[in-house]
Amino acid sequence: MIILDIFTFSGRLHPLIVHLPIGFIILAALFDILSYTQKYRYLKQSVPLILLIGFIAAILACVFGYVLSLSGDYDTDTLSHHKISGITLAIICGLLYISSTNRFKKYLSIANKAFSALLLGLVALMSYSGHQGASLTHGNDYLTFRALMQQEYKKPASVEQAVLFEDVIQPILQKKCVQCHREGKQKGELSLESLVALKKGGKNGPAVVAGKPEASELFRRITLDEDHKDFMPTDGKPPLTKNEVKLISWWIKEGKAEGGKAINAMKNTNALKPMVALFLGIGGLTDTENNDSDLAQLINPDLPLTVDTSVIASLKNKGIRVRVMLNKPVMLDITLPPKSGIKLADIKGEMLKLAKNVVWLNFSDNELADKELDFLPALTNLEKLRLDKNPLTDNVSNYLISLKHLEAVNLNETNITNRTTLILKENPGIKRLYSWKTNASKND
Amino acid sequence: MSDHHHHEEEFRLNSPDFNRLNQRLDRRDFLTKTSMGIGVLALGSLFGNKLMGNAPHSVVSNATGDMEQEILKALPHFAPKAKRVVYLFMSGGPSQLETFDYKPTLVNMMGQNLPDSVRKGQRLTGMSANQSALPVVPSYYKFNQHGQNQTWISDLLPHTAKVIDDLCIVKSMHSEAINHDPAITFFQTGNQLPGRPSIGSWLSYGLGSDNQNLPTFIVLVSKNGQKDQPLYARLWGNGFLPSKHQGVQFGSGKDPVLFLNNPDGYDGADRKEMLDYLSKLNQIQNSTYGDPEVDARIAQYEMAYRMQTSVPEVMSVADEPDEVFELYGPDSRDPGTYAANCLLARKLLEKDVKFVQLYHQGWDQHGSLPSGIAGQCKATDQGTAALITDLKRRGLLEDTLVIWGGEFGRTVYSQGKLTANDYGRDHHPRCFTMWMAGAGVKPGITFGETDDFSYNIVKDPVHVHDFQATLLHLMGIDHERLTYKFQGRRFRLTDVEGKIVKGILA
Repeated sequence: MIILDIFTFSGRLHPLIVHLPIGFIILAALFDILSYTQKYRYLKQSVPLILLIGFIAAILACVFGYVLSLSGDYDTDTLSHHKISGITLAIICGLLYISSTNRFKKYLSIANKAFSALLLGLVALMSYSGHQGASLTHGNDYLTFRALMQQEYKKPASVEQAVLFEDVIQPILQKKCVQCHREGKQKGELSLESLVALKKGGKNGPAVVAGKPEASELFRRITLDEDHKDFMPTDGKPPLTKNEVKLISWWIKEGKAEGGKAINAMKNTNALKPMVALFLGIGGLTDTENNDSDLAQLINPDLPLTVDTSVIASLKNKGIRVRVMLNKPVMLDITLPPKSGIKLADIKGEMLKLAKNVVWLNFSDNELADKELDFLPALTNLEKLRLDKNPLTDNVSNYLISLKHLEAVNLNETNITNRTTLILKENPGIKRLYSWKTNASKND
Repeated sequence: MSDHHHHEEEFRLNSPDFNRLNQRLDRRDFLTKTSMGIGVLALGSLFGNKLMGNAPHSVVSNATGDMEQEILKALPHFAPKAKRVVYLFMSGGPSQLETFDYKPTLVNMMGQNLPDSVRKGQRLTGMSANQSALPVVPSYYKFNQHGQNQTWISDLLPHTAKVIDDLCIVKSMHSEAINHDPAITFFQTGNQLPGRPSIGSWLSYGLGSDNQNLPTFIVLVSKNGQKDQPLYARLWGNGFLPSKHQGVQFGSGKDPVLFLNNPDGYDGADRKEMLDYLSKLNQIQNSTYGDPEVDARIAQYEMAYRMQTSVPEVMSVADEPDEVFELYGPDSRDPGTYAANCLLARKLLEKDVKFVQLYHQGWDQHGSLPSGIAGQCKATDQGTAALITDLKRRGLLEDTLVIWGGEFGRTVYSQGKLTANDYGRDHHPRCFTMWMAGAGVKPGITFGETDDFSYNIVKDPVHVHDFQATLLHLMGIDHERLTYKFQGRRFRLTDVEGKIVKGILA
């Protein structure tokens, strides 16, 4: 069914029509001033007509503006200033028109200069009213002198250097909350413009409780069901992305809702870093509103954005399979074909050049000895490693301890023993160790 | 090697026959380049599809070529979780009621008519629409709880029960088609009508090959499934994609790949040389017409040559220890059975074949379901579970996705006469069960729920396109961005639908 909501429609015409009286009144004032010169004397005659048109347009703008104001989405103070000044403007415009007509001049004649002064006063009133109107739509801080003075915001170059509150949390609040929760427009008596204000809180007490996201009103509001009446941001304004919510949760819980602390000065930041990288767009991924943020992948920010393709080509020429798992950042899956007969010494140079890009690596079934793998610690971003079916011993595990992203190691059908299992316990990141057909006990 | 072949230059220029051909080609070359494509079109229709490859070939203008390149260059769209897929397709529509979807309350309703409030006037097939009654029938087989999460599973699947903690069971699959051909075509190609590329072809097109010596997409059809519903090569066809992306069926017996072996009496010594010359001829053809199918043909000949060595090697199970055959069950020693194909699938996956699809027919139990499904389960259960176990212990489940499922499910009511120990079930696309295991999916969970009749879905429905979108996602592909322009329209596997099933992603 079509709802003939003519009120909403015509209300929305206000921003369009409102520019007509502006144009005409300025034109009237301009012609009036110009008519003092010899050259443009004749323009004087046109001023009453322009004022009449401006008056009619101003009346229309007032009517549509009134209809628009009924929608009630506006700050009442600014709205009443805008309304009163707008209506006054229309009335004065009308009066000035009447005073300039010949019929009126019979009764009372206003001196030319006085008329011009009144006209300029009208322009001044119009500027004030227009500014109020603009503030209604764009916000009080839209056109201020602050915009001139604002300092350029420098994005941190790396996740480690980022200051959690100032570089991450504050921008999130700025983007998603501050439009309504700021000095001068404190909905729920809450301002989120600064850490101090945030801790002071609003009508419902402090916005955050350090260490306890679940007890923090701010966190509760952003994690409610979107249909809940308490859900924030309200009125269909863009909600926080999943990543942003997780970041705020981490900041309250692990970061104790503090400010001024850089990430490299914090503890247990393994889970935090990919979220920050995603938020800041470091590592090539951006947390856009359009992204299905449930699917936005949290990718290790240490991965390089680029790769030397000539090195990949050189490896391929030597018979190595190189699969690009992701273009940005560049993630590589490198496979040495089984029984390839290739000596690792021959490809070590290339492997080291690609070291930071290698995420999956498969050296299965290639007669490898422990020592040949001494470059593995350089592959710091490695996640999955297959070394199965090689005559390797426990010594190989020493190369794997420092690999903090390593998640799965396949040492099936090698000569490892329980010692490897023990040694690899030193790397808590390793979740799965495959030791089928080895002397390492099955129980581990 | 042999002196009746000449040097390349002579081969091309100094023989009168080739001079003539050469001239003609050059003239044609000029024609095609001036009247862009018209000559090719005319020739293409003259020679027809027989000569120039089996897929209808389109004239690829530079613009489309660039677009294709753009699309392929952006891949992968996500960091992939899975590197390979093995899809165990249970053709015919296995009954969810006797396998995974446990409905204990049905026992008390045995023989009662299916309530209209459940059926809601929904369509039935022509096979049971005219039945005077639709008597509800519970599973003839008992269910028991297995694994850490005490998941209910039928006693028909004792081996699968042992690996249940590795499975991600989706009970809320639903399809649009109610008959085999459209339903299976829909599952494999995303459209009920034939002609679109199969899932494996899309993956091959989008991601390329990880093993140059074997096809990217290999199909194995069990010989021990009852051939009640047909399978056809178009289910693993490339549709409008370049024909090198079509699935290659491996059979059992002496010739796993038909016409791959050298004919009797030929030692194959000069095969390589012959192919090199053939390739040169094809390249001349290609430089003239620019038909991508010629490239495909050249690539296929070379692939076939490499496969003459790689296929016998991968098909040989001689080196497999007895313990492996015991794991896969006695059938696994008989090539061509489902169990033997499962073992073969593992060997292909070990070689980094990207997409292996097994088909096992015979799940279409309209009548005598209790005996029929018992036979089907017996033929497949151990092989399936062994494949999971084997992949897991070898560390291959890390980056391999295993999928099990048919094209639809079966009705809760009996088709035909219901007796104490015999009944049948008709096609039911409104809900059925599939499972996945391995790379990127949550192990040991059950996703989605059906009502007490296993008739309607009550929670988390998963449409066929959703499944396809999820599968592509796990391989690193955004299903909305892998497209191919054909006959003026961009096509994709999931057509204009498909939502990734986030609930099952690990």
